[in-house]
Amino acid sequence: MTKFWQVLRHEYTRHVFQRRFLFALLSVPFLILVMIGMIFLMVGMETDTTPMGYVDYSGILSHGRTAPPPEPPERPVPMQAFESEQAAETALQAGEIQAYYIIPEDYTTSGKAELVYIKEPRYAARGQFYDLLLANLMADQPPEIANRIIEGNEIIVRAADASQEVSENDFFAVLMPIFTGIIFIVAIATTSGYLLQAVVEEKENRTMEIMVTSVSPTQLMAGKILGDIAIGLTQLVVWSIFIALGILIGRDHLEFLQGVQIPIGQLALAAGLMIPAFIMNAAFMAAVGATVTEAREGQQVSGLFMLPIWIPYMLIALIMESPNSPIVVAMSLFPLTAPLTMILRAGFTTVPAWQIIASIGLLSLTALGALWLAGRAFRLGMLRYGQRLRWKEVFAREGAKA
Amino acid sequence: MNKIWIVLKHELITLLSRPSYWFAILGIPLLATVAYAIAARANTDSSTQEVITQLIGSPRQITSQGYVDPGGLIRLLPEGTPPDLLIAYPDENAAAQALADGKIAGYYLLPVDYVQTGEIIYTSADYNPIAAQGNSAQFEWILQYNLLEGDALLASLAYGPVEVKQVSLAPEPQREEDNPLTYFLPYGVTMIFYIVILSAASLLLSSVSKEKENRILEILMVSVTPRQLLAGKIIGLGIVGLLQVGFWVGTGRILLAAGKITFNLPDVFQLPPSFLVWSLVFFLLGYAVYASLMAGLGALAPNLREASQVTIVVIMPLIVPMFLINMLIEAPNGIGSTILSLFPLTAPVAMMTRLAAGGVPLWQPVLAAVLLAITALLVVRAVAGMFRAQTLLSGQPLNARIFFKALLGKA
Repeated sequence: MTKFWQVLRHEYTRHVFQRRFLFALLSVPFLILVMIGMIFLMVGMETDTTPMGYVDYSGILSHGRTAPPPEPPERPVPMQAFESEQAAETALQAGEIQAYYIIPEDYTTSGKAELVYIKEPRYAARGQFYDLLLANLMADQPPEIANRIIEGNEIIVRAADASQEVSENDFFAVLMPIFTGIIFIVAIATTSGYLLQAVVEEKENRTMEIMVTSVSPTQLMAGKILGDIAIGLTQLVVWSIFIALGILIGRDHLEFLQGVQIPIGQLALAAGLMIPAFIMNAAFMAAVGATVTEAREGQQVSGLFMLPIWIPYMLIALIMESPNSPIVVAMSLFPLTAPLTMILRAGFTTVPAWQIIASIGLLSLTALGALWLAGRAFRLGMLRYGQRLRWKEVFAREGAKA
Repeated sequence: MNKIWIVLKHELITLLSRPSYWFAILGIPLLATVAYAIAARANTDSSTQEVITQLIGSPRQITSQGYVDPGGLIRLLPEGTPPDLLIAYPDENAAAQALADGKIAGYYLLPVDYVQTGEIIYTSADYNPIAAQGNSAQFEWILQYNLLEGDALLASLAYGPVEVKQVSLAPEPQREEDNPLTYFLPYGVTMIFYIVILSAASLLLSSVSKEKENRILEILMVSVTPRQLLAGKIIGLGIVGLLQVGFWVGTGRILLAAGKITFNLPDVFQLPPSFLVWSLVFFLLGYAVYASLMAGLGALAPNLREASQVTIVVIMPLIVPMFLINMLIEAPNGIGSTILSLFPLTAPVAMMTRLAAGGVPLWQPVLAAVLLAITALLVVRAVAGMFRAQTLLSGQPLNARIFFKALLGKA
C-alpha cells in the first residue's frame, strides 16, 4: 500500500510542482478573459461608424425624436438626412455615407422602403436606423406606451419547479454551462496527456523495467491513474476558485455579471459526471500508453479517444437549440460524449432524472471496463518493446497465449 | 544527384506505405463528400430532410401557450391567430395547474406594472433560455398589437419596414452578407492551407529528428552528404504534401461546382481556375520556407520532444493569420490584410484567404509570390548551412536562441 502512495505522490509532484504546470493552470482563466474581450472587440468592430444617410419623403423623421443610444460595445452610427436621392447618391459614391434609405411618401400605409448601397451595410447600422424610425413613429402614442415599445421587453425564463430562473438579458448566465463544460474538458484533455506521456516515457527509457522489480503492476497503474486524477482535480479546483472570485468581485463593477449565480446544481452534476469521466479517460490513456512503443504513436492513438470527447463542443449550437432532440439525447448517454453533452443540456433544459442516472451509470460502467482493460494491457505490454501489443491479445482469455 | 534520388524515394515509399497517411489525405475529402451528399439529398428529397429534422429537432411539443394578465392588457387577438395558440388563465395557480396537466407548453405572466418595467415572466416545463427567446416572439407581437390599440400595420412597422428593396450600386456582383459561404469559403481555404503546410513541415521535422535520435543519421552520414540528405527529404516530402493539396483543393472545387446545380449557388462562389495555380504556387513556396525551418530544428535538437517545444517559435507567423482570420475575411482588401498577405512568412495562408474572398488585384499575389520565393531561397540556404555533420551528430540541448543564431550562421 505504501508503494501505491509513493507512485501517486511521485506522479502528482513531478507535474504539479513545475513551472509548466503553473503556466497551464494560469492560461485557462487568462484565455477565458481573452475570449470575452475578443467577443466585445468583435461586436465593437462590427459597427461601421460611417454615417447612414436617408431621404425621407413621408415626413415621419421630421418629428425630431432620437432613438436611445445603442448598448455598448455596439457604437452609435450617425444618421444624416438628404434632400434628394441625387445628393445621397453623390455622398454614397464619395464614401461619406455607408448606405442610404429612401422612405416613400406612403410609408405608414405600405410599409415599403428602399436601401441603396455599394457594400451591404452591417446589421448594427440597419438596426439603429430602424430604432430611429420607431422612435419617430411612436411620437403620436401615449408616452408610457411609446416608451415600452421602444425599450422592448425583458423575458425572464423560469423552470416549472422554480429551480432555475434567468433573464434573457443576462447572456453571461446563459453562457455559464458552456464555460463549465469547456473547463472540465480541457482538464480531462491535459491530464490524460500527462498520463500517456508518463507511461510511454518510462517504457521508452526503460525505467519501467527497474520499477517492476519493486512495485506490482497493479500498484503502479493505480498509483499513476489516481495521481493523474488528483492533478486534474487540482486544476479544476484552482480554476473554479478563479472563476468564483472573478464573479464575486466583478459583480460589483460589471453590469453583465450581476445576474450570474454560481450554479450549485450544475456543479454537482458536473462533479458526478466528471469523476467517472476522468477515470475512464485516464484508464484509456494508460492502456494506450502500455500498448504502443513510442510517444508519437501514442499521441496518434489517443487522438482517437479525444475526438469523440470534443464532438459535443463542435455541435454546441445544436445542443443549445434543441437539447431534447434524439441525437443529443443519444450523445448524452454515450459514455465518450456524455460528460460535455450532459452538462450543456442541463443548462438549457430540464433533463429527466432517468437520463442523468443512466448517463452516469453507463459512464461508471465504462470507466470500470476501461480500468480492467488498462490493467490487462499494462501487465501484458509494459515490458514489451519493438512490437506493438495487439488488442486481440488484450481481450484474449486470461492465461491464454495469443 | 543519384543519392538525392535515393533519399527522396525512401521518404516517399515510407510515407505512402503508411495507412495513417492515406487516412488523412483521403479522410477529409471523403467526409466532405459524404456531408455534401447528405445535404444535397436533404435539399431535393423531402423524406431525407424529414429524417434529419427528426433526428436533430426537438421532439414534437404542445403548441398552446397560456397567459396570465391581471392588468387586462390583452383585449384582442390579431386576425389569423390560431384559436388555441394562446389560452387566458385568471391567475397563476390555474396556469400552473394547466402546465402540470400538460395542456400548455408554458405560460406568460404579465405583471401589473408591465408597462413600466417591461418584465414578462415565462414559465415552461422545458426550461430553455435559448429556445424561449425564439418562442416568445409570437406573444410579444400580440402584446405589441394590443398596446397599439390593434393597429396591425403600425405594430409591425415597429420592427422596421415591412419590405425593403435593396439596390446595390456595386459594379460587380457581390457575395451576399447573409450567405454562410461568404464566410466559410475563405475560412475553409485558410484552414486547408494552414493544416497542409504545417503537417508537411512537421513531417520533415519528425523525419530528421527521429533519424537523429535513433542514430541512423550517423550511419547515413557515411555515404550521403548532409545537403543531399536535406534536398532529398525536402523534395520527397514536398511531393507528398503537393498530393495532399491537390486532393483537398480539388475536392473542394468539384464540390463547389456541383453545389452550383444542387443548391443554386451564385457564380460569385466559384473559385476561378487561376486559384488552383495560385494554391500550388503558395503551397510550394510556403512549404519550402517552413519545411526548411523545421528541418533546421530537427538538425539541432537532440530528440523529437525537445524539437517540438521550440516548434512554436517557428510556426508562430503561420498562426497569426488564423488569429486575424475575421479581419482577412471581412476586409480582404484592407490595409491590414494586404500587409499580412504580402509579408512573406504570413503570405502563404493570408494570400490564399484573400484570393478565396475575392477581388485581389493581380499584382499583389505576384508580388507576394516573388517576395516569398526570395525568402524561401534565403531560408533554404541558411538551413543548408546548418545541415553539417557537426550539428547533426551533436547532442546539445536546444532553445529558440540557439536556433536563430544557427540560422544566421553564427553558431
